[in-house]
Amino acid sequence: MKNEHIIQVAFVGNPNCGKTTLFNALTGANLKVANWPGVTVEKKEGYTSYKGQKINLVDLPGIYSLTSYSIEEKVSRRCVMEDNIDVIVNVVDASSLERNLYLTMQLLELGKPVILAMNMMDVVKERGMEIDNHRLPEMLGHIPVVPVSARKRMGLNVLLHAVKHHYEEDVEEKVVVYSDSLEQKISSVEQRLHEKYPDLRYLRWTAVKLLEADEETLEEYSLDAPDILDRSYEKEIINQKYDYIEEVVEEVLFYKDSSKEGKTDKVDTLLTHPFWGVPVFLGIMAFVFFLTFTIGDALKGVFEVGLDMLLNGAGAFLAGLNASDWVISLVVDGVIAGVGGILTFLPNIFILFLALGILEDSGYMARVAYVMDGIMGRVGLSGKAFLPMVLGFGCTVPAVMATRTLEKEADRRRTMILTPFMSCSARLPIYVLFSSMFFPQHAAIAAFSLYVLGLLVAIVLAMILGKIKRGESAGSLLMELPEYKMPNARTIAIYVWEKVKDYLSKAGTTIFVASIVIWFILNFGIHGMVTDVQQSFGAVLGHWLEPVLAPAGLGLWQVAVALIAGLSAKEVVVSSMAVLFGISNINSAAGMTGMSTALGQFGFGAVNAYALMVFCLLYTPCMATIATIKKESNSWAFTLKLVVFQLLLAYVAAVVVFQVGSLIV
Amino acid sequence: MTLLNTQKGKWYQVRNIEEKENVQRRLEALGILTGTRVLVLNQKKSGSTIIRVRGTRWAIGRDIAEGIVVEDYDEK
Repeated sequence: MKNEHIIQVAFVGNPNCGKTTLFNALTGANLKVANWPGVTVEKKEGYTSYKGQKINLVDLPGIYSLTSYSIEEKVSRRCVMEDNIDVIVNVVDASSLERNLYLTMQLLELGKPVILAMNMMDVVKERGMEIDNHRLPEMLGHIPVVPVSARKRMGLNVLLHAVKHHYEEDVEEKVVVYSDSLEQKISSVEQRLHEKYPDLRYLRWTAVKLLEADEETLEEYSLDAPDILDRSYEKEIINQKYDYIEEVVEEVLFYKDSSKEGKTDKVDTLLTHPFWGVPVFLGIMAFVFFLTFTIGDALKGVFEVGLDMLLNGAGAFLAGLNASDWVISLVVDGVIAGVGGILTFLPNIFILFLALGILEDSGYMARVAYVMDGIMGRVGLSGKAFLPMVLGFGCTVPAVMATRTLEKEADRRRTMILTPFMSCSARLPIYVLFSSMFFPQHAAIAAFSLYVLGLLVAIVLAMILGKIKRGESAGSLLMELPEYKMPNARTIAIYVWEKVKDYLSKAGTTIFVASIVIWFILNFGIHGMVTDVQQSFGAVLGHWLEPVLAPAGLGLWQVAVALIAGLSAKEVVVSSMAVLFGISNINSAAGMTGMSTALGQFGFGAVNAYALMVFCLLYTPCMATIATIKKESNSWAFTLKLVVFQLLLAYVAAVVVFQVGSLIV
Repeated sequence: MTLLNTQKGKWYQVRNIEEKENVQRRLEALGILTGTRVLVLNQKKSGSTIIRVRGTRWAIGRDIAEGIVVEDYDEK
């Protein structure tokens, strides 16, 4: 039975061609994400079915060509050449056909069934261009060409139909016909390859690769033919491929109305302006921050009312059940006060990620790399290294992972050192709370100043590291700037939902556990449950640290405990303060007054609060970050040194802020 | 001249690429090779440049721009 065979499809395409969006649209939730064996490249697999035919799909990393210079290229190449891949779906961005077709030409040389999925046809139309969908397949060896819109979910069934019916047909592998002399060489190499490796399936491909002097192919299919393989013909081969592509583009692409072209260039004259680029970027970030603060705060009220109702309700409910006092205390003072307090910050987090998602999806993020290239160059890094740092405003964990895009290991490590100083969203609750309590008139400015401070610390640090590593030139910037486009609601909704889900699950797990642990060490001592908090484990531990933290204005045992607890996740600093001072709804006006009064009794004022925020900005972000840095750097020594450094730096900075601040105020 | 001494908004043709082996190969795979036409869209004092090649925009750093030797290209 033919239908029992599950068709294996590989998705191949350039970065930014919408491949992953298309893949997601086809597989929906049926997907599995893992790493390719032995490398840190993500492998995404999913499945779907079409008219009873099961189809498995693999999403390969975005690549520009099938050479073997980067890990991504090697992985993709090995995968498409594997025998079990039946069909290759080559996703191309129709609005930059010329560059996208280069990969297509290489894929065609394999002689495997290829289907061209033409994405972004709407952009083509918008720009007043037209593509001849009849001529194009003719020029590509009669492969199916399917216009799709990943964003609008159009053409998906046609694509699956093509997969189902095309997978057994072989294609013409001779789409690009090289010059006579090259073709002669190719056929004699093919001949000798066939003699030496009779089972070799990809004759033309292998012959071309041998003539290109491709390292991997030379190793695998060595051929003793110095008369033919006298030198690398790579340049000629690339050139002639591009010559043919130019021919194709000339014949299938028409400009109906060229006036619409260059919208992106117009926007870019401002956004990537030699002088205004940086101020515009800072302005955008300030605006994002302003939205996070104001709209987030407005929405927060709703959450607070809900939390208040929950707290009262839970207390009354448990009392009604005749629950013992410690159970009520655990649930109300421990879990709900801790976890619930964190949930009230959800609106801020939501807005922040919404803004980051829009910036990324619109195509602006890539410009940031260009805008910051000069400044980053002065500290010995390429503008590309700035992107993980921007992501760091969202969450340090994905930001550290994003350093993978840097080619040089030394650049990666330096970026990993800098990224934690970008204030992640988990630090936001701390800033929001303490700024509102101690700088009520200037809360937004106080909080923003910490973002700037983090950035300054990172820049100074980068300069110092750059001096140490002088002579070692950084990997240079080489990055595509995609067309600007209207952010897609669906793509952004998925992005924001994933982050919000992370935040919620953190509240449900890490912060939940941390709240219980904090509650435990505050309500229990060596003699069991205590009524006087001074006898508790927490107080003992905190008192022990008081003298150390005193020079930084943080010599309160409660603060010490909150900071230690904050290592599990930064939001925990806030939730543990709530538990420590027994304040049930910390983010409400009443909660804040209660907290600042409580702190005020110990002489903890505005300067102390600022020192605390600085400390929280700089010290080790969280366990998850430590684990990620270890995984990405593959070195415990590096990771531990970094943690110690962060703690020392936070301490020294907090001491300086407090001592200097106390003189001024 | 190299891409560093070019004018914004003008077309050039690549005459030679003088880069390290790996950079050169990456540029070639992206379609930036001898004979390719390049439009300079933007350039900063630091040398970071935006070019248009084969319908796509690329941001390139100073040291790569420095290694791309170009000559004036007449649009006709």
